[in-house]
Amino acid sequence: MDIGPYVLQLFSGLSRAMVLFLLSAGLSLIFGVMNILNFAHATLWLLSGYITFSIFQFLGEQFGASPLLLLPSIAWATALMALIGFALERFLIRQTYERELPEQLLLTFALVLIVGDLIKLIWGVENRRINLGVEPMEMLDTLVNPYHFVIVGTGVAVAAGLWFFLHRTRFGKIVRAAVYSRSMVSALGIRIPMIYGLVFAAGVGLAGFAGGVFLPLLPMALGVDHDVIVQCFAVVVIGGFGSMLGTFVASLIVGVVYAFSILFWPDGALAMIFLIVIVVLIWRPWGLFGTELRY
Amino acid sequence: MSAPEVQPGWLARHGLARPVAMAMLVLFLLVPLLPGEYWTQVSTEVLILGLFAMSFNLLYGYMGQISFGHAAFFGVGAYASAMLFVRLKTAGGSIGMLDFFLSLLAGPPVAAFAALVVGFFCVRLTGIYFAMLSLAFGELLFYIVFSWYSFTKGDDGIQGLLPPLFFQDAVNYYYLTLAIVTLAFLVLWRITESPFGYIMRTLRDNQRRAAFLGINVRLHMLINFVIAGSFAGLAGALWGPFSRSVNPGLLGWQESGVAVFMTLIGGAGSLIGPLLGSVIYTLLQAVVKMYTVYWPLTIGTIILLIVLFLPGGVLGLIEKRLKARRSAGDGET
Repeated sequence: MDIGPYVLQLFSGLSRAMVLFLLSAGLSLIFGVMNILNFAHATLWLLSGYITFSIFQFLGEQFGASPLLLLPSIAWATALMALIGFALERFLIRQTYERELPEQLLLTFALVLIVGDLIKLIWGVENRRINLGVEPMEMLDTLVNPYHFVIVGTGVAVAAGLWFFLHRTRFGKIVRAAVYSRSMVSALGIRIPMIYGLVFAAGVGLAGFAGGVFLPLLPMALGVDHDVIVQCFAVVVIGGFGSMLGTFVASLIVGVVYAFSILFWPDGALAMIFLIVIVVLIWRPWGLFGTELRY
Repeated sequence: MSAPEVQPGWLARHGLARPVAMAMLVLFLLVPLLPGEYWTQVSTEVLILGLFAMSFNLLYGYMGQISFGHAAFFGVGAYASAMLFVRLKTAGGSIGMLDFFLSLLAGPPVAAFAALVVGFFCVRLTGIYFAMLSLAFGELLFYIVFSWYSFTKGDDGIQGLLPPLFFQDAVNYYYLTLAIVTLAFLVLWRITESPFGYIMRTLRDNQRRAAFLGINVRLHMLINFVIAGSFAGLAGALWGPFSRSVNPGLLGWQESGVAVFMTLIGGAGSLIGPLLGSVIYTLLQAVVKMYTVYWPLTIGTIILLIVLFLPGGVLGLIEKRLKARRSAGDGET
């Protein structure tokens, strides 16, 4: 049997899963801690992709083009996005904590439109992509872009880091506690507004990081964020709101199912994913790894 | 999860619902007197999207659940009538008057059937989970239409939905739309003011208490879901011949977002609110698009400013003014 196409799809599925995880982890944390469903998360991810591209280009002009320049570009873009996230929380999101769900949704929905159009205004309608010029490797009967390994490795490392941060550090424990009871955490004398700002910054920073990391594999294009955000919602729903492990497993499910559906039923890949979401929501509305507590 | 709270309709509280509805009908009747076809076409869009937003508001304003997949029924209605339209078209590309109306009629029942299937599962959940499940179903239907090329023509959409010669005239099609939407409005008004409508308000305010009273919560939610779906389907059926084409985007979550926008701008507490929201949103879009291609940026900024500085929407501000004037008047007497 020729396993080439399957290997190829497995790698592309795993890469996709990692990006979905980096986005959904932030989305799920933000929802868990602040109860805000951030529709603009994927749009900020897209923005970061464009920013990374511009920094990469700028550095290339200054110091001569080199694939290694991608590293500082991603670092700068991530920091910048975290800063943008912090500012967004401080000046916009914070105004709506006491408001109704629809007004919060409207706010982040408005950000989707504004940021998406700003990207068009600044970078135009052309797609952006970084070509690292790496030769594909031959393995298991097929040619694999070695960058897939970088993405998968990065994703797993970030997941492990997040787990360590949430379970083994003081700040992480506070964040987890805030998911369960905000009022209790603030009653213990912890400055909840600061936690909010930092969690939002971390979530948007993760999305920013993902935007940069994915740039050499897929071009950034206007409107992609609209598809990606609903896939992230799918991941968060399947995994369970607030559960990091659930988000990781659900990302793998969505990424791999998508990649293999393309092999067997090319056009129905995304329909498959929403079919899974529907089954999970009907069977376990709190998700595979979520707790019934918050349902 | 608690259901979103909905302010009672300010129009109704001030006894303004009927006069405002009458005034709007008169204004709508007079629109074609404006020079040029442009405003007649914009007004047709106002009416169709307004009907769509009103059907969404049956779920949100009356039942207290946010659906992010409501456009699916708008799109299913549009596709059902468009596909029948294409089958009934003669070889020359024109369609008979009777066949045209037949194709319009296909929209609501097919959308109602889709809503029955989707609603059967959605009404088991509330709050954010209801929103998520409706979004998932909406996206599922979107991708089915998007990728089933042999059946729906995929992302090419269906083109050439040219209505009979008489209705190709913008003014005639506008009056047809106005007649249908007015009729739909009266039916919706009858539904929301019936005992059933009041059961919906009970479900919005306190589902558990409604269950104690012996109301079959899920069944009533399902019936309302199907009603909302069929009116969205009617709006969708009108959309095809209006824009001469249908495309999968009509089912997408961005289109559902438009209904949410309109409802929140106009006010969810009354039947006419979403229609007013459609007037504001669609007119604004028509004006802004004359000057700039950056419409999303403009509407996004406006929404942002409304959320930050005018909680309760534009009409909430008017209400505050009315209230202030009224209490000032009381002080003088």
